[in-house]
Amino acid sequence: MYKSYHKKVVAITLFASVVFLGTACNASNDNNKNAKADTKKERPSEFGGVPVVWPGQTIEEIKPFVGPAKASVSKTVKKKYDFNGKLIVDGGVYYPIVDGKTGAYAVNESAHSTPFNKGKTATANEQKAWDIDVMPDGTGLPEGSGSVEFGDEVYEEKCVICHGDFGAGAGLYPRLTVGNAAEMHKTLKNQRVEPDSDGPQRAFGSYWPYASTLWWYIKTGMPHQAPMSLTTEEVYALSAYILHVNEMEIDGVEVDEDYVLDREKFLKIVMPNVDGFEPQINGPKGQENAREYFNNPVNYGNGVRCMKDCFDGEPKVQRIKFALTDFNPPINETKTLPEVKEAKAEHPGKGNYEASCAVCHATDAMGAPAVGDKSAWEATLKKGLDAVISNTFSGVNGMPPRGGSSLSDDQLKEVVDYMISESK
Amino acid sequence: MNKINNVSKEELELVSEVTEQTSRRQFFKKTAAYSVSALAAASVVTPVSASANEHIKVNPEDDINIIEEKPWSLKFGDDVTVNLYGQPSPYEHNVVRRTTPILSSGNMRASIAVTPIQDLNGIITPNGLFFNRHHGGTPTINPNEHRLMIHGLVEKPIVLTMDQLKRYPNVSRIHFLECPANGGPEWRGPQFNSIQFAKGFMSSAEWTGVYIKDILKDLGLKPEALWMLAEGIDNSHMGRTIPIDKVLDDAMIVWGQNGEALRPEQGYPIRIVVPGWEANLCVKWLARLEFASEPFYAKEETSKYTALKQTGKAIQHFYANEVNSVVTSPCPEKPWTDLKKGDMVEIEGLAWSGMGTITHVDISLDGGKNWIEAPLKGLILEKSWTRFSLMHEYTGEPMLISSRAADDAGHVQPSVKQERKAVGIEGVYHRNGIHTWEIDAKGEVTNVQILS
Repeated sequence: MYKSYHKKVVAITLFASVVFLGTACNASNDNNKNAKADTKKERPSEFGGVPVVWPGQTIEEIKPFVGPAKASVSKTVKKKYDFNGKLIVDGGVYYPIVDGKTGAYAVNESAHSTPFNKGKTATANEQKAWDIDVMPDGTGLPEGSGSVEFGDEVYEEKCVICHGDFGAGAGLYPRLTVGNAAEMHKTLKNQRVEPDSDGPQRAFGSYWPYASTLWWYIKTGMPHQAPMSLTTEEVYALSAYILHVNEMEIDGVEVDEDYVLDREKFLKIVMPNVDGFEPQINGPKGQENAREYFNNPVNYGNGVRCMKDCFDGEPKVQRIKFALTDFNPPINETKTLPEVKEAKAEHPGKGNYEASCAVCHATDAMGAPAVGDKSAWEATLKKGLDAVISNTFSGVNGMPPRGGSSLSDDQLKEVVDYMISESK
Repeated sequence: MNKINNVSKEELELVSEVTEQTSRRQFFKKTAAYSVSALAAASVVTPVSASANEHIKVNPEDDINIIEEKPWSLKFGDDVTVNLYGQPSPYEHNVVRRTTPILSSGNMRASIAVTPIQDLNGIITPNGLFFNRHHGGTPTINPNEHRLMIHGLVEKPIVLTMDQLKRYPNVSRIHFLECPANGGPEWRGPQFNSIQFAKGFMSSAEWTGVYIKDILKDLGLKPEALWMLAEGIDNSHMGRTIPIDKVLDDAMIVWGQNGEALRPEQGYPIRIVVPGWEANLCVKWLARLEFASEPFYAKEETSKYTALKQTGKAIQHFYANEVNSVVTSPCPEKPWTDLKKGDMVEIEGLAWSGMGTITHVDISLDGGKNWIEAPLKGLILEKSWTRFSLMHEYTGEPMLISSRAADDAGHVQPSVKQERKAVGIEGVYHRNGIHTWEIDAKGEVTNVQILS
């Protein structure tokens, strides 16, 4: 796109993006008529050795939208849509520096043209250590392989605790599949207009455009409490397992229980929703497409400044049906002194609880009794403390033995005691 | 100014009685017995001391808070050595960020704590109340060991220490940061009877840092560089792709927040600020910028932060938070229950646009049928919160209050109906439909939506 810097700035049609305002009833949206172009000469500068037409050369001044008499809006609104002669990529306004100011801010312009050359050159090793992204074309995806079978093992050991059996999700933790990817992809037009209607089913298989995102995210973000801890083989294996539970195929071959995924096969994955996103941002025209898309608010909605009798009849009011009120702390607008709590010595189980158990027990999202939830723990303790401790050792419901931790018996007892003491 | 309502009848009688006896000393002895608990409860009259007011005979209509001396005016306050980093008054301890389980992705390390905008004035959020969304917890980063790498399609890939970064000339800009899911739980209808949860996924600060373009001019950006990955080095290693146009316009790397260092929750030691755009793009704990010719497709720009429309297509790279507004007073947390018919009251609110500058805010008192332009007040800055205000004579009748903002990009906040027509109700992100409060005859305020 830097080639465009060489091009002469072409005056643009100012109101291309505001035509939709046109017939706003009773509002004074006649600003089109008052539009007046004032083209300033550009000040070339250096940019990475390439001569650059620095942004913001074309300034369009218009009269403001004039509201009713008491409007305290500034009398001149400067509209600058262009950035190197183009509309702004987000559909918004560009504010160049004019007479040493941009908007209300004064600018020391020399500060922005002085070379500083701070820092040191990034070595090859440094870049290798930190360059962890994986792109759809395979950039960043290492050689390697992993089987669905091994993926199942790793999943049971490290993932099931949050993502549930077969990736079906648990509590508020994300689902990794909603079933057959191609079938579920067909639900994306669903709208829950009625309380019991089915919504669009968004999960990796049905919604994500590229599998590279999955590999990248597992490698750098998972498991949640220990990111960057999985080997390349484990990440391939988990990717294979997740493709399997999404009932996907690669190059016409079903990812079944015996499938072994490698880099070559990975790059042949075509996600059902690869064309499900707009604007189209790939390729050299990607940014232009975004520019065009966001400068047309029909794509995402816009209003009109209607001032009088904007609809017929009485307003149709939708009230709260299902109030969400589980706020922590509860809303309280009073001005009182806080309750003084006696300082307690730190419980010996607190540290291990936070390191090994809080990921599930901090909230009730996983179905586990949440620490602090008095009634949940009263229910749990009905079976007796010994049973609770024995379940802690052996696992219960969705909880693996010892909560998946390597804590000793005594440490686990301390943790249980801590959790109970915090839930009274 | 009827403060006397705060004092119980019994206390008044007690005070009146002892005053009439002109036996102040005796009264002090009596009150001393409960003085400790009285101090702890703000609404209870506190013990008094001998003063110039001894001769006043207190009448029931007198405000006892004026007649009687307060303990804080009769003794030393704290030394300057107390709270070397200042704290709010303990009486403000309820003004805090709040959480709710439904907004988490399973645990409180991938969750959001939202800002009590009902309690804030002006266009700056105190740093301790700035909303906090993270994907793997708030790290505590040692700034001496933290580095920023800039590489990819540049002639000279570099690594900067924080000290070196801060040698670049800094700029300070006031911008709001808004989670694009602000209001997102309410696409299908109102759910939160609270402005903090309905609209508090946003905050505003004066940010200090360096324009990324000022660093790039030293590095030789290659012509084919169209996209920049910004990546954090916290647990989540969250990355987002930013188009080069924005990088070369006003995207900043910031280390300052309202004059002090960024708070850990806001990305200490450095984060990106992409003015006006999804706050999720404003990557915290920033460690790496990589330039490429193709977009990166990070998790938080595909699986999340994409807005699914009723067409089945989803908007990706949905950059700017569109023009929006909300009335902050009244609101469910700040009702009009204390007003009487005929009282004058200020309707006040916040308007903002990630695409430009607020030009107008209109207010409707009848559910959006008719609108009045509300005066703006205070600073009117681009990509910034802007305050609006309207004087209103309270009638005591039930009413609906809505606000509708417009910006200099030519955008007008849509009605709920207009927005649903454009994008459906399953998009999660970028909901900017007109917000409405219903006021009942008692002055209580409820969150509603108008479908007309």
